[in-house]
Amino acid sequence: MDLGQQILLMLGGVGNTLIISILSFFMGILLGLPLAFVRAYEKDLAIFVDVFEKVFRGVPEIVLMLLFYFGLGLYLPFPFGNVFFTATFVLGLRSAANQSQIFRGAIRGVGEEQMVAGRSLGLSTTESITHVMMPQVFIFSTPGLGSEYALLIKDSAYAWVLGVAELFKNMDLVRANTYNFVTPYAVGALLYIALTFPIATWLDSWGNKKKKELGL
Amino acid sequence: MTQTVMACKNLWKSYEKHLIAVKDVSMEIRKGEIKLIFGPSGSGKSTFLRCMAMLTPPDRGEISLGDQCLTAPGVDLNKARARIGFVFQHIYLFRHLTALGNVELALRRVLKLPKEEARERAIQALKDVKVEEWAHHYPAQLSGGQQQRVGIARALARNPDIILLDEPTSALDPELTGEVIDTLRDLAQKGATMLIVSHEMPFAQEVADEMIFYDEGSIVEEGPPEQFFNHPKSERAQKFMNRLIKKTQRE
Repeated sequence: MDLGQQILLMLGGVGNTLIISILSFFMGILLGLPLAFVRAYEKDLAIFVDVFEKVFRGVPEIVLMLLFYFGLGLYLPFPFGNVFFTATFVLGLRSAANQSQIFRGAIRGVGEEQMVAGRSLGLSTTESITHVMMPQVFIFSTPGLGSEYALLIKDSAYAWVLGVAELFKNMDLVRANTYNFVTPYAVGALLYIALTFPIATWLDSWGNKKKKELGL
Repeated sequence: MTQTVMACKNLWKSYEKHLIAVKDVSMEIRKGEIKLIFGPSGSGKSTFLRCMAMLTPPDRGEISLGDQCLTAPGVDLNKARARIGFVFQHIYLFRHLTALGNVELALRRVLKLPKEEARERAIQALKDVKVEEWAHHYPAQLSGGQQQRVGIARALARNPDIILLDEPTSALDPELTGEVIDTLRDLAQKGATMLIVSHEMPFAQEVADEMIFYDEGSIVEEGPPEQFFNHPKSERAQKFMNRLIKKTQRE
């Protein structure tokens, strides 16, 4: 295996790493945002959100992945037995638990009075949430979302345990083929930094710019 | 007699056990009437106003808007609030929307007007309070006085039956209150029905049909401005008026 092949193999894993991370990130937003509002405004259901958050924040990702893969994969139809799906699904749920907490802090930051102002105009609670709260909550959350994205890029490496051909698995393949224990990991480490840093930083600075502009 | 726009009867609201913000208050506001509530801070005026708009549900009592009872079970409060304008002391503009966006939102989502019409009406509302040149600016880019005028435009654009204003000038720098007072004076001249919590005494004397001295959760004294400026009947109102007038003179 020459150097060119080694690099190509590792770069080939980057695609899956990105897809798993980005899909689970968006799954986390789509699920975490409503969960945060349920937790904030539906006192009766808050306990369920709390339990969900505790489970997915408390159990190691690698355990969750194996549990979902063997626990559900063997009994539920496609796509549950699919390794790629399982990895993304588990990280998406874990991310939803994290993001729910990020958004809850942001809801507090935006302030109850924005809701009251929305309702004073005749908007329903749901409309006030979607048109008044959510856009501001999102801007408030950008630093947290940036670190959550970086976390997902890193945690996507756990998909290796299921055999998904992502960056870490391919790094390990290069190591196994070349008996070089340092170079593939070092190059892989740099690739992880390249994947996390720019987007997390961009999100952070975009959020800061917006916050300044809007006086949030 | 002109028709009653809004009324409440034996309204009660308390926070926890001992803090009674609204104690058996009854009031009636007729079309075109301007009532001005004043009194010490912490006496429950804001809570009373929020109860009237059902933004804070009262513990007991009745509130009616036109011939609709708002405190009856199963009332569509969102529809009712669409007919009430509310202006907040701390303004609470939607910070992620421009001045125009702030005014447009309810026109689109509550009145369900088509885009073009909502825009036209929002621009007109901003013109009415003389901030149309700031239409495309975000609240953070406006002065307090401009923000509050946008707040008034937002409350007015739906053509509400009544406007409730909670100390609309007291969070502003003294030099900015004038422009907001001018806006309110315009509204008064146009015959708007208003229930205002305010301590702007010259303004009160000029536009209020009736003044209400509110203390410790209830109406202590009510009557025309002359009554308060010449010879308040209650001792508490007398003391409070003296202090207010002294303060106004200092300014």
